[in-house]
Amino acid sequence: MSRKALFLLFAASYAALLLAGCAQTPGPGLARGEQVFDTCFPCHGKNGLGNETLGAPAIAGLPRWYLERQLNNFKTSMRGADPHDMEGARMRPMARSLYRDGDIASVAEYVATLPGRVPAATMVMGDTAAGRMRYQSICVTCHQDDGNGNEALGAPPLTHQHDWYMMSQIAKFKSGMRGAHPDDVMGAQMAAMASTLEDSTAMHDVIAFIRTLQK
Amino acid sequence: MLLNLPRASTFAGDIDGLVVLVTWLVGAWFVATQLMFFWLMWRFRARDGVKSQYITGKEPHLKKWINIPHTLILLCDIVIIVAAVRVWVKVKQTLPPADDTIRVVGQQCTWAFQQSGTDGTLDTADDVWTSDTLHVAEGKTYHFLLESKDVLHSFFVPVFRLKQDAIPGRTITGWFKANRAGSYDILCAEICGIGHGIMGGRIVVDTPEQHAAWMQKHSVVADAGATTTDSTAATGAKN
Repeated sequence: MSRKALFLLFAASYAALLLAGCAQTPGPGLARGEQVFDTCFPCHGKNGLGNETLGAPAIAGLPRWYLERQLNNFKTSMRGADPHDMEGARMRPMARSLYRDGDIASVAEYVATLPGRVPAATMVMGDTAAGRMRYQSICVTCHQDDGNGNEALGAPPLTHQHDWYMMSQIAKFKSGMRGAHPDDVMGAQMAAMASTLEDSTAMHDVIAFIRTLQK
Repeated sequence: MLLNLPRASTFAGDIDGLVVLVTWLVGAWFVATQLMFFWLMWRFRARDGVKSQYITGKEPHLKKWINIPHTLILLCDIVIIVAAVRVWVKVKQTLPPADDTIRVVGQQCTWAFQQSGTDGTLDTADDVWTSDTLHVAEGKTYHFLLESKDVLHSFFVPVFRLKQDAIPGRTITGWFKANRAGSYDILCAEICGIGHGIMGGRIVVDTPEQHAAWMQKHSVVADAGATTTDSTAATGAKN
């Protein structure tokens, strides 16, 4: 190979490498959402099914409107800013890293396409009959009879969520670690409802009943 | 000045002085060795009719080219060690009397801070907890109790020239005295997980009057058991 041909080959390879680094970022939408999901999967898993060890909930099966709202809550410190909220402390900077316009909507759109799965039970405690009574009197208005939630009332579905996560969130709502920010109207509603579950027995009961809705 | 970077703590100048000393000494030797190297290449370059010599380097007039610089470099090392130990003792081994004590807690991916509130005592009901943002008063000596809830972190305040690892299970005590009002970066200097790069915060050095007003406002809120927010953080008492 002549010296000129060798030079051209080297120059072409170098240019190809440079161009490879200039890949265009897709605009808002599913493709961008899938790209942004790289930030989420180390904790939530590649299928969005959650990870108990890291305290990361299942996000597969959640609707787009709820995902967007929670991401915005984290981003604006309405959620996760309490210094004692370890899981929130992990999630809030992640949401804040979605600084590009449309990224939150894009990743919410992508995650909403992930199919939810009925999670395995991790808690054996709880009386489903007592839980049904509590659910019917406290939770049903917003989360509905079947636990599928209600967009108009801002209540998420509970049918694909882990029992350990629901337990931890009820405890956080009760302690003021979640839902206490003055601008978090939905969180305040849930905090008020959670406060009516007077002890861990009541919390276990209602979660035991919610598990019966997960089919 | 070699390092024209902002400084905001009483020992930042000592750290910079050490860096400048090492830079000058190493830089001077670097220049000297490069000059000598190129001079030798030029002096003993290939010439027609001159045969290269084999030298062992054992003769005294050759060995001095090694021995003299070697001795001088050892002397420079001693200078660096003495200067470094003096700074180490001042910054890391000595705890000047504290005007206030704070707790700094590293957790993936946030810094949390516990301050003593208006009563000046840590772990009491009026303590102020903040995430991301730490308010301190200019001219006050703070002891910090550094902890980690999960993995290794490193509390890094570049303008203070302060960097200290946080180790799960240990409480590490250190100190600083801010001497320049302003708002500065806090970083994590130990790779601690996927969120390491965004584990930032701010340290706000207030004038004593500003800090007293800030503390009065937030300590009262904390005392009432409520939670509030300042520009970037939530505060509240959780004991």
